[in-house]
Amino acid sequence: MVAASLPPDITAPAPPVPYIETQQAAGVSADLLSTDLTQNRIEVSSSFQGAKVILYGAVFQPEDQPSDVVVIIRGPQASMRLIRKVKAGAVWLNSRPVVFEGAPGYYMAASSQPLDRITDFSHRRLLGLGLDYIAMDTSRENKVVTRYGVKDVVVNGIEDDYLDWRRAVIRLKSKAGLYNDNPLGVRFVDKNLFRAEVTLPSEAPIGDYTAEVWLFSDGQPVGYSEKKLTVEKVGFERFVYTVAHRHAWLYGLACVFMSMGMGALASRLFRRG
Amino acid sequence: MEIYLPIAEMSVNVWLMAGLGVIVGFLSGLFGVGGGFLMAPVLVALGIPPSIAVASQAGHVLATSTSSVLSYGREASVDYRMGGVMAGGGIAGAIAGVELFRLLRLLGQADLMVAILYLLLLGTIGGMMLNESLRALLRARDGLPAERPKVKRPGWLYALPYKMRFPVSGLYISVIPPIAIGFVVGLLAALMGVGGGFLIVPAMIYLLRMKASAVVGTSLFQIVITTLVTMILQAVRNHTVDAVLAFILLIGGVIGGQLGIRAATRFRAEQMRVVLAIIILMAGLQMGFTLFVPPEDPFILAPTNG
Repeated sequence: MVAASLPPDITAPAPPVPYIETQQAAGVSADLLSTDLTQNRIEVSSSFQGAKVILYGAVFQPEDQPSDVVVIIRGPQASMRLIRKVKAGAVWLNSRPVVFEGAPGYYMAASSQPLDRITDFSHRRLLGLGLDYIAMDTSRENKVVTRYGVKDVVVNGIEDDYLDWRRAVIRLKSKAGLYNDNPLGVRFVDKNLFRAEVTLPSEAPIGDYTAEVWLFSDGQPVGYSEKKLTVEKVGFERFVYTVAHRHAWLYGLACVFMSMGMGALASRLFRRG
Repeated sequence: MEIYLPIAEMSVNVWLMAGLGVIVGFLSGLFGVGGGFLMAPVLVALGIPPSIAVASQAGHVLATSTSSVLSYGREASVDYRMGGVMAGGGIAGAIAGVELFRLLRLLGQADLMVAILYLLLLGTIGGMMLNESLRALLRARDGLPAERPKVKRPGWLYALPYKMRFPVSGLYISVIPPIAIGFVVGLLAALMGVGGGFLIVPAMIYLLRMKASAVVGTSLFQIVITTLVTMILQAVRNHTVDAVLAFILLIGGVIGGQLGIRAATRFRAEQMRVVLAIIILMAGLQMGFTLFVPPEDPFILAPTNG
């Protein structure tokens, strides 16, 4: 799946994309696309079980012009720690964790046809289109060594294994429903009108998401539009989370009182009964 | 009915969790154990991150122990002095345990340590209990009198300094052994999310040789103090206590616990010990099993929250 389609010459992650610069450099217009989300704020309350948001948009381009749309949803960045199971004798132990920085907590790439048919490798990599090109960095693993007599060479601590680790992150996140590539996720419902479904599982991270929409014509990015999506806890969930982090002592005490109180109440109720 | 857990940041089925609380609570009431050692493996198997499972089920242990200590306290079989001394060691152990757990999590070794501890401790204790209780059962079947436990207390217990009188337990011993036992139990409470009754009770009976009538009540009292401190520390240092999860589990737990206490009167003590030994052994082996099975995926994501 993911691993098989990865070109062999990528050994470093794609650099984070400075969107504004890319747009100007490539002559990308903001006028060719108009998009919106059915919801730009998702409330996580106690009944939250995930959410589905529809992104829809219109392409303002002559009809004879072939146009492809790519939708990229990125969740808030968070460092990730990955552990490898290593066999020592008869037992399986944990390796030292490797920290991945800069990877999004949620990622979805939806497109009107498979990405490799829409544009070439360098664009996919530059713009971070598709799971193979998500930027993720193991900066903390970098170390400075002397190699072939050259001093101060920065190498990755996990070196040759980097791809294995990277694929593992993507595989595990995909399994949790947090990363996905959907090559047919953008559907044209009318001549120039398209829609894409964004499915967030209940494990989706809290924070700010961006929805980037790219319009490609003959393999070149020509249009770009960006929308914000916020996932936030509300009501009781927010209250509990805030108290637990801002007033941890109070929260701990409250939990203890709750537990002991319920225990005392139970022993009292059942004795009478 | 699904409910979203604010700290674990995932949604779980309320009835599944409450049901788990009832079953573990029932077994706790039936056998007079805290049940933490049964709950943690199940929570982890259901997908709750181990650090949150261990910290949140402290609420369940606390509720069932409070409920029991109140019943035993009324019968005046709690040695508050002995319990207090042990709890002193327990608090120190809990502080050390919470910090150690934090360090192990940063090193990505927390789940491994929990699995090893479960295998070693529960495996050993379950095995010993099974052996001893089966022998007792066989002797009873053959009409032989029960084996008399060795009455002689180990001499070194009396050679240690800082002696103190514990009238309720019928002891005049150094405070060092109770503090040391309390420390170990506190450490385990933080690392494994257990109350530690399965360790304290044998230690009180076989090591300290406390008066049998005071053992259960005192151990429960000690567990309440240690678990209370652990829960607060986990909330403050690791932010891993999920109040919603804790509440669901303990509601089920206290109901199940009371049902268990009622059911307990119907069975004979020796038979129950065999069953408990088997359950402890199974829990230990089940957790330890993960050490020997080739993992489904050689990579795992370590939880980063907290």
